[in-house]
Order: sequence, then structure tokens, then C-alpha cells
Amino acid sequence: MSDNINTTDLKKQVEDLLASFRSSLSSVNNTDALQELRVKTVGKKGALTSLLKSLGATTPSERPAAGEMLNKLRDEIEEELTKKKAALIDAETQAAEATDQVDVTMPARARASGAFHPVAQTMHEIVAIMQGLGYSVALGPEKEEEHYNFDCLNIPSWHPARDMQDTFYFPDGTLLRTHTSPVQIRSMLKYGAPLRVVCPGKVYRRDNDTTHSPMFNQLEGLLLEQDVSFSVLKGSLRELMNGFFGRELKNRFRASYFPFTEPSMELDIECVECGGKNPDCRICKGTGWLEVCGMGMVHPFVVRAGGIDPDKYNGFAFGMGLDRMAMLKYGISDLRYLFNGNVSYFLSGRNA
Amino acid sequence: MIISWHLLKNFIKLSVTPEEAAERLSLSGAEVEYILRPEAKIKGVSVAHITSLTKHPNKERLFVAELDTGKGKAVCVTAAKNLKDGDKVFYGAPGSTLADGTELETRDFGVVESAGMMLSAAELGLPDVDIVEGILALPESAPIGGDVTTLYGFGDTLLDVSITPNRGDLLSILGMARELHGLFPDSELLPMPWETPRNLSEWPIEFGSISLPDPGCVNYNLGLATDVTIAPSPIDVRVALSHLGMRPISNIVDATNYVMLTLGQPLHAFDLNTLPAPEVTVRSASDGETILTLDGKERTLTSKDMLITSGGVGIGLAGVMGGDKTGIADDTKIVLLEGANFAARRVGHTSRRLGLTSEASFRYTRGVDPSLAESGIDYALHLMRAWSGAKIGYRKKSAVNAAPEPKPVNLTKKKLNTILLWSDMDESAKILEGFGLKRVSQSISSDGPVMSFTPPTWRPDITIEEDLIEEIGRFRGYNDAPDILPGVLPRRADIGVETSLAGALRGVAIARGYVEAITYSFLPERFTEALHLPQSDPRANPITLANPISQDWIAMRTTLIPGLLSGLKESQSSGWRDAVRVFEIGRVFLRDEAAKSGHREEDSIAGLVFGGLDPRTPWKETIDDFLSVKGDVEALLASRGRSASFVVGVQPFGHAGQTANITISIDGEERKIGYLARLSPAVEREMDFAEPVYVFEISLSPLETPKKPVYSPASPFPAIFRDISMLAPAARANDEVIADIKAAVNRSEGTESLLESVRLFDVYGGKGVPEGLRSLAFTVTYRSKEKTLQDKDVDGLHNKARDALTQKGYSMR
Repeated sequence: MSDNINTTDLKKQVEDLLASFRSSLSSVNNTDALQELRVKTVGKKGALTSLLKSLGATTPSERPAAGEMLNKLRDEIEEELTKKKAALIDAETQAAEATDQVDVTMPARARASGAFHPVAQTMHEIVAIMQGLGYSVALGPEKEEEHYNFDCLNIPSWHPARDMQDTFYFPDGTLLRTHTSPVQIRSMLKYGAPLRVVCPGKVYRRDNDTTHSPMFNQLEGLLLEQDVSFSVLKGSLRELMNGFFGRELKNRFRASYFPFTEPSMELDIECVECGGKNPDCRICKGTGWLEVCGMGMVHPFVVRAGGIDPDKYNGFAFGMGLDRMAMLKYGISDLRYLFNGNVSYFLSGRNA
Repeated sequence: MIISWHLLKNFIKLSVTPEEAAERLSLSGAEVEYILRPEAKIKGVSVAHITSLTKHPNKERLFVAELDTGKGKAVCVTAAKNLKDGDKVFYGAPGSTLADGTELETRDFGVVESAGMMLSAAELGLPDVDIVEGILALPESAPIGGDVTTLYGFGDTLLDVSITPNRGDLLSILGMARELHGLFPDSELLPMPWETPRNLSEWPIEFGSISLPDPGCVNYNLGLATDVTIAPSPIDVRVALSHLGMRPISNIVDATNYVMLTLGQPLHAFDLNTLPAPEVTVRSASDGETILTLDGKERTLTSKDMLITSGGVGIGLAGVMGGDKTGIADDTKIVLLEGANFAARRVGHTSRRLGLTSEASFRYTRGVDPSLAESGIDYALHLMRAWSGAKIGYRKKSAVNAAPEPKPVNLTKKKLNTILLWSDMDESAKILEGFGLKRVSQSISSDGPVMSFTPPTWRPDITIEEDLIEEIGRFRGYNDAPDILPGVLPRRADIGVETSLAGALRGVAIARGYVEAITYSFLPERFTEALHLPQSDPRANPITLANPISQDWIAMRTTLIPGLLSGLKESQSSGWRDAVRVFEIGRVFLRDEAAKSGHREEDSIAGLVFGGLDPRTPWKETIDDFLSVKGDVEALLASRGRSASFVVGVQPFGHAGQTANITISIDGEERKIGYLARLSPAVEREMDFAEPVYVFEISLSPLETPKKPVYSPASPFPAIFRDISMLAPAARANDEVIADIKAAVNRSEGTESLLESVRLFDVYGGKGVPEGLRSLAFTVTYRSKEKTLQDKDVDGLHNKARDALTQKGYSMR
């Protein structure tokens, strides 16, 4: 190379270099080869580098134009290298992903999730609804005294419910509570009035057949305030039922009898299965109604037994079987599945 | 209680259908469960007259009857032996149907064709109506061609009504008529269907006194019928009794039952000639005294039972059942008719104690109107004369103890309005009068208008104002009343810590793959043996029921584990082969001498994990073991802000090498709150579990107050990590090794502790590791709170710690 190079020569060299670079670049198909090309072109001993060195040999008048030409060349090469590198990385990543596939239909490497017990679930659901209406939760012992289970509830000693045939007794004369009503009495004695509680829990009766379990679950409610109307009982229960079943249900109140309430009623709700449309419905037996809850205005005797003056406070109580509510909501047909601890039943709904 | 619509018409004029009446009754307290029409399927059956009865020409045992059906002649073949020329029978022509829906046709009996059938009572659906086996014989007066469903009460509509225990008055046709009259004010009650006896005469026989030393006998009356002929009752009576669920027996017995069913007054008929002495006494039995009741069983009595005696001999268990020797027989001529009133609670006591419920005791225990005893006798004697030709008209003999008089009850407008949000006093009075109450006064008190009402003798259940309001409420119905929500209370509703704790824990357990269970609170007594509990274990001595349903449900559980184990068995026997993870939140019952009740009830959460009968899986990591279940326990406790320590423990049913006590720190003290164990191989074998079973049980009360977390920001300075790998005795607990490492680091430290944590990342035993040792590898994290650590800050420290560990006997690798 002569000491002085002119721009025409330089331009020729630039064009040659760029053409040769591009030809090499187009045949590069992996990042390693690209790196090699980079070194060969813009590395310390690369073609472009030596061309840049030749800039010193240009005349001062030509130098600016030559400099501009070479800078442009360098920028072009760098840009094309960068673009090619990005394209190659994309392609390589894609190729790697294509060879690293998971069979997404394989079973998860984890435990299957568990399942709630419909009766416990029902209890928590109803408690939450009633909490919204201002009812607190009260609990009490399951092994109970006759006094709280019967005497205070206007169930005299000769009443059939107190029979050994119906109630589980212990040798010391205590019993397994036959309802959660003793918790109402204990709540009245403990908190006085005004009072608003629900009492969920296990209760026991000496029955065992396809529709009766010797142990079952109840939820009772009690409201004692001043000048309480039956209409407040209606309103509370409407909210409970509609809230629990998640829709507006027709209801009807029938007169009934319980020793601890006066007047007493029972609540029927529209059949949650057929809505009264199926004369052969196995849930409502074609009546269109489901009996779900007994209730009434608390008998003054009971209010007094709870240490509260019935002339000052009155109110209502209601009680329902949580098992029945759970069976209705979750479509369980046989009581015997509820308490035998068999997981298969509670997991059987998984694929339904 | 079954109500016959047909008989009801003898007591009330009512212009509604049975369906309308049933709907009204159901909403107002007497729930009609079914409306029955037992003969609804019978079609085309009518009265026919046998004009000739001859033997079948060539078939022995068969007869050929020629019939006048009212529409023409018919020929019928029968095997029945009870017929004769001139009898009237029910006849079904070909095409007619029987009670069970069978359609009759013409049948060929060789030579003779039988067109349809002459019918027995069974074919009409009421087998008990037959007096003798065969074709049902009709009275001579039966109208030829008359349709069966218009005769003798056949085709009746029956209401099966559920009567609440306070309404004993509804256990009769009369009572139901009165109730319907109250509910349907347009209706009209009819006069009683017998004449009040007049021109009474004295008894033609010697009879002493009636004495009632037991006040539980409210009153006791005797009527007399002489010249009795025992025979079957008229057919309509037999149909009525059959419909109402009682078997017809004879005119005299049927008369007593018929009166009980229609008026509600139980009666008992004695054969006067079998009475031990001409006197009757109602007294308390002596303890141990016995009586043979008419069902042929000997009953041993106590002083709480009431006995009817004659000449000192028991002739009846008052209100429950008559004696065996003194009842009506085929040759009875003189009937002594008892109509008495016995106190509900006394009869109830005896009936329940003996497990002996009769139609009479059922009524007495729910209360019988004391004024009915004499009416009942009058009505029954009237019927006996009509049905048996008996001579009646003798003056009744009576003895009375003080009967409770109905007391007036006040109704205030104020309370009426409070409860029903309705307060029309005049309308209320009309409603109450419709139910038989009498208005005795009305006034204005400081609380506003008051009216006073006396209930009728058949409504002893009405004693307080709320009872009056109930009558008004149930008449009006509750469904038109507005719905109102309760107002705001001055304090928030509190769901309570037990319920919210249970809610939180079940959420964690379910999320970790556990299925929630609720199992029985009672267990077989042998559960303590199944769990190998020694006598010294507080769980080995459960409280037991005095009257269990079965020996499998006798002992109150002292632990939740047996319920979960039997659930596991149940799952397997139902074909479940997969893993079982189950938990229960429930109550256990433990003896506690210190408690007033002698016991305490504790809520616990228990879990059970079983790998499944076929534990094969592509993911070995998912197979449960002691440590995976430990993770679940830690998660449960973490949800309450608690971190637990697991220390080697002992459970009688636990694997000797895989049992831990779970402790948490409460007020600076480590307290045991439960355990985690694999079942001992012996228990697993005895219970026939082929794979390991892991169980845990944790008391809930220590978890009631959640511990709040304490937060701190991440250190701005980077940490330095150093691994330690070493051989440790295989039996030495990991916690202990970590404690040694920490002690070794801290001993060689300067003023600021740089040790942040020690984390196990590998454990290995077996090939390459000497017997009795295991290889453990830890990462020790060093970090300063004040500066970025350099290697040189840590290296010396770490090496000194290694030396210290070597001195302690660990072999560093």
C-alpha cells in the first residue's frame, strides 16, 4: 500500500469489505460463527480495524470525507452484526424450547386438594349469614344437665321426650343434649337481654334408622329484645334461607307446637330440587314444600328460666337440622354417608 | 290420627272439600300428612241379590249363584261357603275394578261361565270388615243395584293428621269437627248423635261403691247394660273402624272403640259377672304388685302406677290397658261400662315405663276432656242398645276427685299488637269464640283494652295470654304478616373464637389436601385396647352411656383418632384405593375429678394420612411420610402465627421411632399441645393396614389467640454463604446438630453476631458412610447489620467453628 491513498481507492476497499462481510454474514447460522465473523471484521486484527488504521495515511484534505466513509461503514457492520445476533438468539431459543416440552396432560406433582364436610360447611355458611344480621355464636357442653336441657325449656319431668327411649343418659343422671337449646338458656343467664345468638352444635337422640342418626347437628337461634314481633322472626329466617340457598325461595309458615315457644310455627320452603314442579319429586314427595325449621316466640317460662323478665323482654327462637340443610343444598341422599368418615363419598363429587 | 270425612259429617255441616279442609288444618297446626281414598279404584261394584245358589255341576267345592243385579241377571261361580239363597252381596260385573285395581272379567269354569265376581271384604280393600271368611254378607235392607261407594261408608275420604302433643282434644272426630268449626266460621256444629237418657232406673243388681284414693283418677263413672247379645257390629261400623285403623271385634267392644274414636273418650267394658267383687277402687299400685293385662302379659308395677281393682284384685291398668280376666266374652250378658278420666302425666309415666302404648294411653297422655267421661258412657250405651238389643237406662254410678277448672285468661291489645302487628280485639274475640272460648269480661287497663276468655274444658293447653295470641295467629295465618329485619344492636355480632379458629384451620387443612370428616362422638368401649392405651392413660377411661343404642356406641371418645381410623377402614371397604388424608375438628370427653361435672370437653383437630393401597406414582416426592405430615402440622400452626417444636415422644399406639410431641412456646414456656406419630407396626398389623398410617392430634384451646407476626425489613448488606458438610451420629437429632453449629460459630465470634441462619440442604446415609453415622450438609449464612462482609471477615470465623465442631466429635468433610 502506498503512503498516500486516495478516496477512490478507499471507496473501493470499503465496498469490497462490506460485500465480503455481507457474504460471510449471510452464511452464519449460529452465535459462535457470528462471534468468529465479528472478530474477523471488527476485532483488533480485523479487516475493518486495519482499514481504519489506514486513515492516517490519507491527506489532510481528504481525511474528513474518508473518516466519514469509514465511520459509516463501521456503523453499518455493527448494526448488521447486532441484528443478526438477535435473530440467531431468537432462533436458538425457539429451537431449545421445541426440544424441551412438558406433557401438560401429565398428573400434577402435588396432592389432590381436600374437600369440606357439607355439614361443617353449612354451619359456617349459616353462621356467616346470621352474623350479618347481628347474631353472635354461642357454644355449650354436649354432656348436659337435665336442668338446662329440659327443665328450663318447659319440658316437664313426665314429658315423653325425657324418656330413656329417646335420650342418652349417663349413670350420674346427666345426658347428651337432645338439642342446642340448653345453650340458649346458658346464654340468657350469661349475657342477659338484649340478646341475639345462634347456637350450632352436635346433638344426640336415641334414634337410628335411615332418616335418623343418633348424633346429628343443629343450629338454633335466639333473639330477645323489647316488643319483638313475629315478623322479625319471619324476616330473619327469610334472609337465612335465601342467603343459604343463594336465591329467593317461596316460604310458608305453619302453626305448630313446641313446649318452649308460644305461639309456635314451622317453616316450609319451596322445594329446592323441583320448585314444586315435579309430582314425583323424591325430595318433597310432590308437595312442593320442604319442612326446614321449627320456631316460635319464646315461652315466658323459658325467658324467666333464663333469668330475664318476660314482661320486659320477649323474642323468638328457631332451630333447624344442619344435616338436613346440608343434604338439601348439596344433594346428599343418605344420612349415613355423613358420619362414617369415608372420604370416598366427599371426593366423589369431584368429576361430577 | 285418621279422620273419616264420612263420620265427620255426623258432627259438623261443612261446605268445603276435604282438600280445602286439609290445607287449612295444615297451616293452622294440625298437619294433614296424607289424604287417603282407599276405595278410589273400585268401579262398577253394586249390591246384588242371590236368587238361586246351586252346586257346580261337576266341580266339587264350587257353587253357582244366579244374581239379580238390579240391571238384569247374572251368573257367578264362587268357592265361598258362607252364602245362601236370598243373601245380598256386592257384585262386580265384568269390566268393574276392585280396590287393588284388578279388573274383573268373565271366567270359564267348564259348563258354567262366571260373569264377574261376588266380592269379599278383602277384595273391597277392608279384610277386617268380614265376619266370616267368604263373600261379604250385606244386610237384608241393602238396596239392589246400589253402588258400593255410596253405601256403609265405603268410598270414604280419610285425612291422616299429625296431632301435636298439646292438642289431645283433636284425637277424635268430635274434636276435629270443633277445630274445623273454629277455622271455618260458616260451618255449623250438629247436635250430639244420641239422646240424653231420661227416666233412669236403679241397677237391677247389687253394686257397692266406687272409691278413688288416688287423686290421679280425676273421675270414674260406670254405666250398665243388661240383656246383651254379643254379635258383630253393623257393617257401616265395621267399615268405619277398619278405615280408622281398628279391628272390629264385637258389638260391645266396637261400641267402646267407636266412641273413643268419635268423641275421644277411652272406655272399657267389663263383663260384670267376671268382676271379683261388686265394687271398684282406683288406687296406686304397691311396688312389685303384678297384673295380667289383656294382651296376656304379666306387668310388674310400682307405686307410681295407677291400678283399678275390684275386691282387691287388679282388673285394669288405669288408662293403659284392661285386665285379662274381666273383658267381654262371647257369652257376656251384663256389661259394666267404665268411662273415667286419668291424669295425663300418671298414664304417661306408666305407659312409657312399661313401653306399652294403647289407643287409650295415647289419648290420656295428651289430655282427655274430663267432662267427656259421662257423655262417652251415654253414647256407648246408646250404641249398644242399637247394635246388641241391650237394655239400658240405668242411672250411672260416679265418683269424682277435684277436676281442674279452666281459668280465665286475659288478652291485651298491647301484646296482641306487639306479636302479630295486628290488634282488632273484636275480630279476635270472634276467632276465640269460634274455637269454643267464652268471653267473660272486657275492660281498659293502663296498658289499653283487655278481654278475658275462659277456655272450654277440652282446651287445657290454653293458660296464658300467648296461648290466646297463638289461637288468633294460627286462625289468621302467619304468611300475610310483613317480614321485618332485626334492628341494629349497640354492639357487633361476635362469631366467637372457637368457630373462627375452626374455620381458619379447616381452610388450611383442606388446601393441603385433607378431606374434612365428622365422626360419631361415641365409640365401642374396646377402642382403648385397639389403641393399646394403658390404664394409666387418661384416654383409657372414657365416660360411658347408661342406655346406649348398641355396644358400638357406648363410650364417649377421648381422642378423635378411632373415628378417623374407622373412616379409613370404611373408605377401603367401599373400594377406595388411593391415598387418604382426612381431618376432623371435634370434641373429646375426658374424666376430670376437679370439674363440677366430673368431666371436661376439649376441642381438637386430628388428622390421618395413609398412602393408599397402591402407592405407585411417577412422582416419588409426593409419597407422604412422617415429614410431609409434619409440614401439614406446621402449616396449621403457622396459620395461627405459631411455630412448633417437634421432640421425640411416646404414644401407646405410636411407632417407637416415629412419634413426636408437638410443643409451642406459650408465655415463654414450651407446652405440649399434641402429637404426631406413625401408628406402631403392631397397631397397623392388628387393624390390617398394609401401608403406614400417620396421625396427629392437636388441642385447639392453646391456639385460640393467634400470635401476631413480627416483621422486619431485609438487610441492605449482602450475605456470605459457607457450606459445612460433616458426619454426625445417625441418632443425633438434626435440631441438636444445628444447635451445635450455632454454638460453634457464636463461640468463636466477636462482638456482633454475624450468624444469620443454618440450613440443612443434604442428608445421606448408607454406602460410603460408616455404620451409625450420617452425612449432613448445611449452608451457614453470615450477614452483618452494619457493613458488607468480605471473605476475610468470615473465613477465620468459619474455620474456627469447623475446628470447634471437630473437637465436639463431628467428622468434618
